[in-house]
Amino acid sequence: MKKIEILKLESLSRAPMLVEGYLFEGSDPEAPSVAVVGAMEGATTLPLYSASKLVDFLRNKLGTGKILGDILVIPSVNHYALNINERFWPLDKTDINMMFPGYGLGETTQRIAHKLFEAIQGYDYGIVLETRSDLATCLPYVKLYKTGYEDIESARRLGLRIIHHREPESIETVSLQYNWQLWGSKACSVICPHQPLIDPESARVILDSLINFLNNSGIIRYETFNGYDSTVVTRERIEVVQSPHSGIFIPTKKPGMTVSKDETIGKIVHALEGEVVHRFLAPCDGMITCTYMHSLIFENAVAYRIAKIH
Amino acid sequence: MTPDITEIFSSELPVGETLRIQRARFAPEKPDADAKRISIVSGIHGDELEGQLVIYLLAAWLRDHPEALRGTVDLYPAVNSLGVDTIIRGFPLYEIDLNRAFPGARNDFLPAQLVHALAEDVEGSDIAIDIHSSNIFLREIPQIRINKEFSEATLPLAKQLNCDFIWIHDAVTVLEATFSHTMNSRGTKTLVVEMGVGMRLTKAYGRQLLRGILNLMQQEGIIETPTEFKVRESFSSEVGDVFYINAPAAGLFVPALDHCEVIETGQWIGDIVDPLSGTVRESLYAPNGGVLFTLREYPVVYEGSLLARIFGVHDEKN
Repeated sequence: MKKIEILKLESLSRAPMLVEGYLFEGSDPEAPSVAVVGAMEGATTLPLYSASKLVDFLRNKLGTGKILGDILVIPSVNHYALNINERFWPLDKTDINMMFPGYGLGETTQRIAHKLFEAIQGYDYGIVLETRSDLATCLPYVKLYKTGYEDIESARRLGLRIIHHREPESIETVSLQYNWQLWGSKACSVICPHQPLIDPESARVILDSLINFLNNSGIIRYETFNGYDSTVVTRERIEVVQSPHSGIFIPTKKPGMTVSKDETIGKIVHALEGEVVHRFLAPCDGMITCTYMHSLIFENAVAYRIAKIH
Repeated sequence: MTPDITEIFSSELPVGETLRIQRARFAPEKPDADAKRISIVSGIHGDELEGQLVIYLLAAWLRDHPEALRGTVDLYPAVNSLGVDTIIRGFPLYEIDLNRAFPGARNDFLPAQLVHALAEDVEGSDIAIDIHSSNIFLREIPQIRINKEFSEATLPLAKQLNCDFIWIHDAVTVLEATFSHTMNSRGTKTLVVEMGVGMRLTKAYGRQLLRGILNLMQQEGIIETPTEFKVRESFSSEVGDVFYINAPAAGLFVPALDHCEVIETGQWIGDIVDPLSGTVRESLYAPNGGVLFTLREYPVVYEGSLLARIFGVHDEKN
């Protein structure tokens, strides 16, 4: 393994930010290669943790001679945000994942995106570890944009329960996954739950999915347990449950749980008077894919998304 | 004349409060059948307040001149009202830039519901003006930004608005998520104004734009008054180029020029300094002559931070 410098950025008052990648060179020139990009934002640590555990696995657990194709892991692109629990770039609050393909002469986060994008070119596969952009936590799943270049079969090799296969919004045309696909890598995103503390179960699922991917793609040789035969879900299959009242939100079902129509899945308690003002009932049979992630909820906010069972 | 105040969007907040987005409508009791409607929007970004002053000045003018009104004037001073009240640019909690969330939808997450409600309410207006204040980092002269895709319809209107500069942008896919793109796509001729700086008011700019809006409304028959609103002739990016100056290094940017100065090629724009060592890290010089229409207001910079923009005719000497 060797560490390579992806970018270095000076600051007026902070120590310079050095972004590094961990490159594991494969022994088989015919084997495919992959790059994995971890935390581009702060305020949630699962992308960071999952990428760093992958480095640990490849470096300390896998054993010699088992890496066939090149693997580049970049655990963090945004140390400055992670270290102060900011979500976006701390000065101007811009989202690095909205700056691709980047611009070397542009603004700071465009330059960061540009250098990152240069470093990850030419890999056969690309995996972005990210979190949802809305106020929701979720089960770990694959987000795969319909670009005409996407590859569902390689996304299946992660072995996660769900692949959300959908058209990108216009704003998502400047995301890493979208541009990575357009530049010739089979890229997808693993969406990580948005949790302030590491949930060992979710972390295990994500790391296992990355190892599954490497093994199933012929990039490493490793005897592991099979993941799921992923279900491909389109937008039409997602049922949105909005909150008819504001108050204190108490979900009783978590992402990843299957539910039956009319089953109670949570409640809202009046924030000042304590009484239950609403009980959420599942509108359909299905699996909860994500829930609102704060205790205080606005009226009409999206409380749950449920993947319907046909 | 008192406007009709309407809530165009509301949502109960968790603890004893309701989020409201309000519209004030000024309209004659019996408008002509062909009378036009104009919508003035501000505060899509919570840290931008210049538009609120313009809307205040316009509302006060309409109150004082009820006899002049022929069409409908809808005012939306604070679209991101929670952000305005908490000095947060995006929609609080969600950290979403509302001007990247259009057209939104009823069953999407809350910021998308809010922008959907705004777009639905403004739809049907003949003209819309979306007033921004740059952000807290940059100071801008009064300027109109219009998308090339819609410039044939909107450029003539932009010239009425008494702004100094009209910047015609090429189409960028992310701009599809803005208010102006959404409304232009739906047939409302929509202009974006940028002026001043975030979190502050520039009174002279407010008065300048008020004059332009009154002039535009007069030209469009929305008001009828013997007063002549004389407006300046804008310079336009059709006849020149915009030159960007980004920071080559991190540090504290100390400008050497005033905003809006006419400068020459090679003129000293400012320094990036290091207070700890007492050294100048970089000195910046103009790549081209022209008008310094954007100047950095917030001094802390990283490599890449935008320091200034110059509009000028390309200098062949460079």
